[in-house]
Amino acid sequence: MQAFEPQTRFLVRGSALLIALLTLWWFVLLGPMLYLLKGAAGVLLPIEDHPSGDWTLRVPVDVTLHRTPRQPLPQQLRSIEFDMPRSDAVTFTFSIPVYWAIMLAAPGVRRKRSPLLLGTAAMAAIELVLFLGFAHITAADAAAQLAGTEYAADKWIYRVGVYLVVSVLPYAAPFVVALWLDRELREEVLSLGRRVEVPVQGGNRR
Amino acid sequence: MFSPSPFRFVLIFGGCMLFAFGALLTPAVQSLDARFSSVLVQLSHGLILACGGHATRDAAILRAPGGFGVEMRDGCNAVNVTILLWSAVLAFPAPWKMKALGLAAGSVIIQALNVVRFISLFYVGQYSIPWFEFAHAYLWESLLVLDTMVVFWVWAQRAARPAATAHAGV
Repeated sequence: MQAFEPQTRFLVRGSALLIALLTLWWFVLLGPMLYLLKGAAGVLLPIEDHPSGDWTLRVPVDVTLHRTPRQPLPQQLRSIEFDMPRSDAVTFTFSIPVYWAIMLAAPGVRRKRSPLLLGTAAMAAIELVLFLGFAHITAADAAAQLAGTEYAADKWIYRVGVYLVVSVLPYAAPFVVALWLDRELREEVLSLGRRVEVPVQGGNRR
Repeated sequence: MFSPSPFRFVLIFGGCMLFAFGALLTPAVQSLDARFSSVLVQLSHGLILACGGHATRDAAILRAPGGFGVEMRDGCNAVNVTILLWSAVLAFPAPWKMKALGLAAGSVIIQALNVVRFISLFYVGQYSIPWFEFAHAYLWESLLVLDTMVVFWVWAQRAARPAATAHAGV
């Protein structure tokens, strides 16, 4: 078991830190992080918040709705407005404490002030991009449905996009960013440059 | 010296991941995915009964006597983290026999952890819905990705050994 000592230490420390930092995020940091996310995303698309904590997003689109029996004249769609429950917006804030937990659990934590700060900024940028990506994919999907131009392949592409943005990347990104910025952790996990001593037959041991 | 290229690793990892998630969301695989969830719920139900707990099962839904029910949906069956592990194992330069071992053993470990996660969520949900939401969507998911990374790390360390020996032996 001694061979797996770094992994065991990382797992134990990482699990404890995840529990501690996600609890801190849930009770203390979540509100300010949602406020910052709304502020940053609000620069690029109008967001209205409600007393319930839910948001209404207005995403610009450029789609022509063709003539139908109920709508005799074609119409130009300039934006799509939809509600986003607070519980959905929360998904775009939790990756930062997860990143902190990984970095603090990794070996040599004292030497990691700059990767910690740089990674926090990178995670904030990634969360913003994921949030905007989710808004645009959802709006494009709704616009295609309204225009009647959505085929099975489009539906699948939108579904894969939303799945990646909501259910995969927010969870995977902190680990990828940690491996990207923390050279020591990357070399350990990917076994980069690992040197193994091999006994040579007939050779002298020193 | 054993030195896989990080660029090659990232490229293959990303490609495998995109392909697998794309395939996962096709109707044919979704139907298999739902059946797999049902099997995991059946296993969890069996374990709860074996340990003296009380629960009823209806396909992929586990119900408590008090009325609380939890459904294992797409994403709750750890298929997404298994895909991450598979992509990492396939991207790592190792003999195919070693990769097969990593895929099989890693999947079993992740699924075993996921059954523990599902059963714990079943009990947390009976105690408190807000705690269930926190544990379900954030805490357990992040812990599973951490476990997946450690499983990969342990495997990669073992997988790197024969290659390093071969190189060192030259």
